[in-house]
Amino acid sequence: MNINKFKENSVFILSLFLTLVFIVWGAFFTDNLTLVTNAVYNGSIDYLGWVYLGSTLFFVIFSIYLLFSKYGNIRLGRKNEEPDFSTGSWLAMLFGAGMGIGIVYWSVAEPVTHYTTPPYGKGFTVDAADTAMKFTFFHWGLHPWAIYTVIGLALAFFQYNKRLPASISSAFYPILGDKIYGPIGKTIDILSIFATVFGIATSLGLGAMQITSGMHAIFGIPDSLLIQLVVIIVGTVLFIISINTGLERGIKYLSNAAIILSLVIMVLILFVGPALTVIKVFFHTTGLYISDFLHMSLRLNPFGGGEWIASWTLFYWAWWIAWAPFVGMFIARVSKGRTIREFVVGVLIFPTLGTCLWMSVFGGSALEIVQAAGNHELAKQIAENVNLSIFTFFDRLPLSSLLSIIGFAVIAIYYITVADTATFVLGMLSEGGTLNPSNKIKMTWGVIQSAVAAVLLIAGGLDVLQTASIAAALPFAIILVFMCFSLLKGLESEIEIYRGKKRSVQHS
Amino acid sequence: MKLFQVRKGQFVYFNNELHKVYGVKPMYKLSIHLIKLRDLSQHITNAASVERYIPREDDSFIFNHKVYTLRNNQKPAAGDLILINNPVPDTLDHYSLNEIETVEKIDSKGVITSDLNGIKHSEYLLMVPGRAPDSHPIDYKDMASVDENLDETETQIIHPYSDLSVQLGDVYKKKDHDVLIEAMVVAIRGHTVFLGGGLEIQHEELMNTDMWEFQYNPFNN
Repeated sequence: MNINKFKENSVFILSLFLTLVFIVWGAFFTDNLTLVTNAVYNGSIDYLGWVYLGSTLFFVIFSIYLLFSKYGNIRLGRKNEEPDFSTGSWLAMLFGAGMGIGIVYWSVAEPVTHYTTPPYGKGFTVDAADTAMKFTFFHWGLHPWAIYTVIGLALAFFQYNKRLPASISSAFYPILGDKIYGPIGKTIDILSIFATVFGIATSLGLGAMQITSGMHAIFGIPDSLLIQLVVIIVGTVLFIISINTGLERGIKYLSNAAIILSLVIMVLILFVGPALTVIKVFFHTTGLYISDFLHMSLRLNPFGGGEWIASWTLFYWAWWIAWAPFVGMFIARVSKGRTIREFVVGVLIFPTLGTCLWMSVFGGSALEIVQAAGNHELAKQIAENVNLSIFTFFDRLPLSSLLSIIGFAVIAIYYITVADTATFVLGMLSEGGTLNPSNKIKMTWGVIQSAVAAVLLIAGGLDVLQTASIAAALPFAIILVFMCFSLLKGLESEIEIYRGKKRSVQHS
Repeated sequence: MKLFQVRKGQFVYFNNELHKVYGVKPMYKLSIHLIKLRDLSQHITNAASVERYIPREDDSFIFNHKVYTLRNNQKPAAGDLILINNPVPDTLDHYSLNEIETVEKIDSKGVITSDLNGIKHSEYLLMVPGRAPDSHPIDYKDMASVDENLDETETQIIHPYSDLSVQLGDVYKKKDHDVLIEAMVVAIRGHTVFLGGGLEIQHEELMNTDMWEFQYNPFNN
């Protein structure tokens, strides 16, 4: 192969090669993959837990620092740039992008599972219900949004203010200088693509599992691995068609529809469900969350077992980090023209309130059904079949078939929009941050991410999905920590430009 | 009855002049918000009184007081304006039909605009300054009823780039002179520019960057 051509496309070729190796490994040596992922899983509990906990808490502190720092008035983009979107639709889009499939998947399953097997204390009690809601808030609250704040802000700042390419390595310009175009920068890009592919594959895997369960609940189609794979194949074909026919404009309408439908479903449940309990849960759990924030953020249980922490907290942190380049790119794209203070309020504070409210509505109503009625069997049933959880929950509410159909539509739409946007982001990242990724590369990533999701599902479903993202996200977590320092350096130089401008105006 | 659906971005004729639709508010009697391309003034009307025009290659029109010809086969350069006549936005792009954007970077697949949209080469027409002789003027729907001579309007176009045309208050520095001369534009009459200190020069001379250099304008900030 032509050496120059290879150099130009090295990020794409190497990251594709790495991912292909993984797919071949998973498809032909499935047992070996399961064995290795289990070893990684156990290793992550013993050796890596503190890395994830420490860095994620650091991101929260860093984001809050930015909110109050002198950099707050720096605008992303030109000094007089106007935001592309109104504040309302901006917040809605952030919320949809950050949580997407996951929030529908886990909103009932997580609180109920915690309720049956809480991190500490006895299950099936009132205390367990409180703890369950508290940890759900914790996993979906400030921490994930702080990760997105850091990466979204870094991407937006270096893209709009420093006019660098839209790739992760651009965020290291203040530290590395022109080396971002060399091997170091490319390594950063390859690692970020690798993490992103797994983050997306995890979401697509969860989505496919839930779509299959939804079809089982609504249409009675069997809930099996085969159908899950069919869902992935159909999804892949659909978005490949959309890439090739310019139907991508339609994807935009779809993603808006998903956000509106999510809100509709939330309001509907509030009306037909136990609204007063939901409000109480929201206030009560917010209090618990704030007062136990530090304890939960650093909880490792060194003298007991760490399995619960590994399969929940560490999995979430890893998943958010793996998912971060994708969401960060999206957030950066829609946030041009906002100041840093607006950005942090919009990406850290508002979505956190939004997810907490969402979790109160879904989790609070579900816990009300299982706890107040003493319906322990139902709780077990939900915890055992997580894929079906949301549909099992809808069955207990009035208007259940309407809720099920809207819920199913939301999941299906999120699935297709995430897959479509992901191909675009992966195309940008793997072509050196160009805003015009070619269709061939986008389609390649489309097929690859579906293949990874399929391989992970074949290799063992949810557990393997969780373990794979914990392993793939680790290098990227460390990259993110350095990104914070790079961002600070960049902001410092920007504030000097701001000061300089002011002075020259006064003198002239 | 006219059954025509007006969409945002379309070029339309209204009162015989070329406008662009920048907003449609379906619930109102006067539902069509227009911007006149010639001087960017805003107008409001209803769907029945506009007529659609699809801009194509070799059309020429006045945009913001300057005349441009649409070209398809020419390579853009940084700073050029493009008319996005065939938008196929990617999922994260934010542009729509007939938007006029400034080119910032050019690569093999497309251009990147100053609003950081990635636009493929097949999606836009380049707006080349000036009215090419082979072009088809589209400023008016019915040329015959226009008293104003197009050639005359052309002579009013002093320079294709607005940043380079003279404004009151601009401060210029003379470059081909040993003694420091900095002067402010105090009056403009036709092609003659009056500078502070009694200097009186032709517009072309002031625009010659070897002779005069623009410094700043204290009123534009």
